[in-house]
Amino acid sequence: MQVAAHPLRLSLCEIEYTSSKQLLTINLKLFLTDVNEALVFDPYSKELAFCQPNESVKANQLLLDYLNQFFYVKANKKAVELQIKRKKLSGEGENTALWVYFEYQQPAPLTSLEIKNAVFTDLFFDQNNIVYVHVNGKSNSLMLNKKTAVHQLKF
Amino acid sequence: MLKLHQSYPVFFLLILFIGGCKEKSAPTDSKTEEDKLVQKALEIHERVLTLDTHADTPLRMIEPGFDMAERHDPRETGSKVDYPRMIEGGLDAIFFAAFVAQDIRDDDGNTRAKALCLQMIDSIVASTQKNSDIVGLAVDPDDAYALEKEGKRAIYIGIENGYPIGKDLSNVELYFEKGVRYITLVHSSNNDLADSATDPNGTEHGGISDFGAKVVGEMNRLGIMVDVSHGNDSVFYDAVKLSKAPIIASHSNARAVTNHQRNMTDEMLKMMTENGGVVQLTMLADYLREAPPNAKRDSAVAALRANMKPIGEMTREERTALRKSFQELNEKFPNPPATVTHVVDHIDHIVKVAGIDHVGIGCDFDGGGGIEGVFDASEVMNITIELVKRGYTEEQIRKIWGGNLIRVFKEVQAKAKEIQSIEAS
Repeated sequence: MQVAAHPLRLSLCEIEYTSSKQLLTINLKLFLTDVNEALVFDPYSKELAFCQPNESVKANQLLLDYLNQFFYVKANKKAVELQIKRKKLSGEGENTALWVYFEYQQPAPLTSLEIKNAVFTDLFFDQNNIVYVHVNGKSNSLMLNKKTAVHQLKF
Repeated sequence: MLKLHQSYPVFFLLILFIGGCKEKSAPTDSKTEEDKLVQKALEIHERVLTLDTHADTPLRMIEPGFDMAERHDPRETGSKVDYPRMIEGGLDAIFFAAFVAQDIRDDDGNTRAKALCLQMIDSIVASTQKNSDIVGLAVDPDDAYALEKEGKRAIYIGIENGYPIGKDLSNVELYFEKGVRYITLVHSSNNDLADSATDPNGTEHGGISDFGAKVVGEMNRLGIMVDVSHGNDSVFYDAVKLSKAPIIASHSNARAVTNHQRNMTDEMLKMMTENGGVVQLTMLADYLREAPPNAKRDSAVAALRANMKPIGEMTREERTALRKSFQELNEKFPNPPATVTHVVDHIDHIVKVAGIDHVGIGCDFDGGGGIEGVFDASEVMNITIELVKRGYTEEQIRKIWGGNLIRVFKEVQAKAKEIQSIEAS
């Protein structure tokens, strides 16, 4: 698998639920160049300056507007409201990744998860989004993309 | 370059036609030299074992509803390998790599990585069972030839990234029992086994870690090929020193031809000769050639950006329209592609430096691989055509397309038997 300059169009999403903590977490790992291309039409733009001291005041809202169009998670058939808990950058250059973390209290036992992940499929016909789901110690992986954007898991 | 993939059954019809003509007269005078070379190449392609050592197709297998028995349009779906296209391209055998992205290196992370890896391996095995009329699971070097005789494609299993081994050496044997026959020690970030060529934090172990050395020893004992692709240069040198059997680079190119840290230096290529291992050429554009500038596109894009409304003031409809304009520019001024000539430039170089016995093919389909002329599994015969055009003989092509890898695979298994018999005595 290619990693430098990522011609493989890929993102990673990790969803975790542990009933003892009653906590549902979502962690998105997105290439920063893809985020910038999607939001401001320039992969190398410094306008939004994610996670920098001069981060644009509109950065989070633009990101959420975009994610709300192409991404959702429904826990027990109810969509969680995307509110960014924290973000971070990792990597360098073309491989810089923006991690976006969401966290929710989920007191009721989790019986189903429905995931839509079509991020960047508006940019790239061959975008693939890996989704790792860890629920109460059991792990599962999915690949979602333009053709298959939504999948439901039952527990 | 011929686009043989555009006519689905063309490859085999042509082979049948050629076969039927073998006993008859020589090609007519009206045939061009090019046609004759292509015919010769297709005959060779049919006769030799064609083995691709690296495809990330298991990522496709976890896509809900994806069916390996169906033919997919790569330009519509991005998918590069399915069984109909392997048949169409005359690709006899392939290593499907179970890939788990590097994550947190603690007990929880390792446990999850193992579960995800086993899920991927199970997906591969299930796919071969479901399609047992056209493919078979292969675990030994000779299985590829046996399955070829049965008219079936051979499906081998590799693991890309040693992360799912975690810190538990016994996992190596677990994966071997599941059918895994090579492990790429590391991927895009350092793990507990080895340093990556692309980790932004640089080296952590100075190559292969102490635990990674034990993993290499266990792979030698069991008969799993040690794969150094994605490792930094020190990983290569450590692997050569540590491994008792020849090593492989399942998808790497020549750095002297394209200066990329994932490619191998001439010094490494020479050491591969001494080691007896093999470098498997990959179809990743950035590893095959330095992307030439695209000034027309850049200037058109800059002009479009200069006339954009401020982002915050755009409606969703305006954004959609603007996206379409950018996409139209990309289509109007595409980047010059990497082609099969670049691929064979790398093969030429490796043959010159390391010798004909140390090069093979590992396309990295479904992991970013795919170039003009070899865009998916249905087009791999174009590599053979280019090799024939450059004067490679059938015997040389046989080595490149699988013979070399199978030789290494056999040596790895022979070494494993030797180690096991010493341990038993």
